[in-house]
Amino acid sequence: MGFLSASTGLTRYRLPDEVGDEVLSNVQLRLKRFAFVDIDQSMEERSFGWVCFDDLLDAEWATAGPEKGPYLVFSLRLDTRRVPPAVFKKHFMIALRERVAQLAADGKKFLSKDQKTELRDQVRQRLLMRSLPIPAVFDVVWSVRDNRVYLATTNTKVRALFEELFAKTFEVELEALTPVVLGLELLGEAAEGRLTGFEGSMFVPIRKVVGETLGQTVMRSESDDIGEKSDGYEKDAS
Amino acid sequence: MSLETVKAKDLALGQEFLTWIWFRSERSNGQWRTTDGIPFGLTFEGRVMVQSGEGEYLETAVSSGPGAELHEAKSGLLRGKKVHQAKLRMEEDGHGWHVTVKAEDFSTAGFKTPKVDFRLEEGQDPDGPFLEKMYLLERALFFFDQMFFNFLKLRFSSEWNDELNAVRRWVDATTGPTL
Repeated sequence: MGFLSASTGLTRYRLPDEVGDEVLSNVQLRLKRFAFVDIDQSMEERSFGWVCFDDLLDAEWATAGPEKGPYLVFSLRLDTRRVPPAVFKKHFMIALRERVAQLAADGKKFLSKDQKTELRDQVRQRLLMRSLPIPAVFDVVWSVRDNRVYLATTNTKVRALFEELFAKTFEVELEALTPVVLGLELLGEAAEGRLTGFEGSMFVPIRKVVGETLGQTVMRSESDDIGEKSDGYEKDAS
Repeated sequence: MSLETVKAKDLALGQEFLTWIWFRSERSNGQWRTTDGIPFGLTFEGRVMVQSGEGEYLETAVSSGPGAELHEAKSGLLRGKKVHQAKLRMEEDGHGWHVTVKAEDFSTAGFKTPKVDFRLEEGQDPDGPFLEKMYLLERALFFFDQMFFNFLKLRFSSEWNDELNAVRRWVDATTGPTL
């Protein structure tokens, strides 16, 4: 799911510290330093790094550079080898029976806890070697002019991975634009105390018991006290 | 300030804002203006989640339907819940955006912009459709930020008490006399 999809998830960030010209003039070089490394031919369980926005197979930016108009664009590629639990269970059962039979042939009865753990790891490694890494790509758009970085996912684990790799690559920390952070940016640092000390209002109408007759409680809402008084909204409704 | 406290403040602020824009949108028939006077539309559409409490006392209600009535969610407001997640529709000059916003961190899911044609015509800049898509995404985010800015200004002003009473009357009125 990326920026060009019909529907996308989005996390917004800003950079609280200024990014130097040295970083901005060497974006491609820095991306290459932390580029994605393929694990199809290895036994690695996971690999992640930057790839070209236009081509997930291009970790050299041969297709296109990261600049598009006023934006810097690239993608985080994350490949993961997975063994489905049902597949693991089946193969572990097979391996366990073979081992027990082998032990019986040697005149032994039990498999220790450590031996079982070791067997479990062996089966897992064997199955991992046979499974292909599953690729996932998350687009990144950095609007330097507006001090905004957009990541095309809301997944917490991917966000953490992205934030760490971005900080390593560009030597600057990202700050997610949560309500308080966005408020600080819109209102300025002077509003910090009000935002960080924010206490929610009560939207529930405050009801008062005004009479109790023959077990029937008559409820009256606070708004009745105000009667026809305007709430002040209509006059400035836009 | 601890991370937990910061998260609690984000949640409180986000929930109050989303609840407020529901109220304001209904009051103004979905008509809004930026601070520069540019008109845009914002309505709650189809699905809203309301929430109250925390930890083991956390209560959530999800209401969905074709229109913006969402009675169940409004009943939740009367019991102290606030909007935790909402599907919004924004509009400008007949173009529509759909987006689901989470109160706790303002992350957005299912973000749909007006359609962009990615078939390139001869001589067209290959980055053209991308730039158009980014313009549309940022346009909706601009409207969102404008609403948040208006909310914050009002929230920290002396007019908030009047607004609060208006919200309470809306909560009371929209849930019917039997509740």
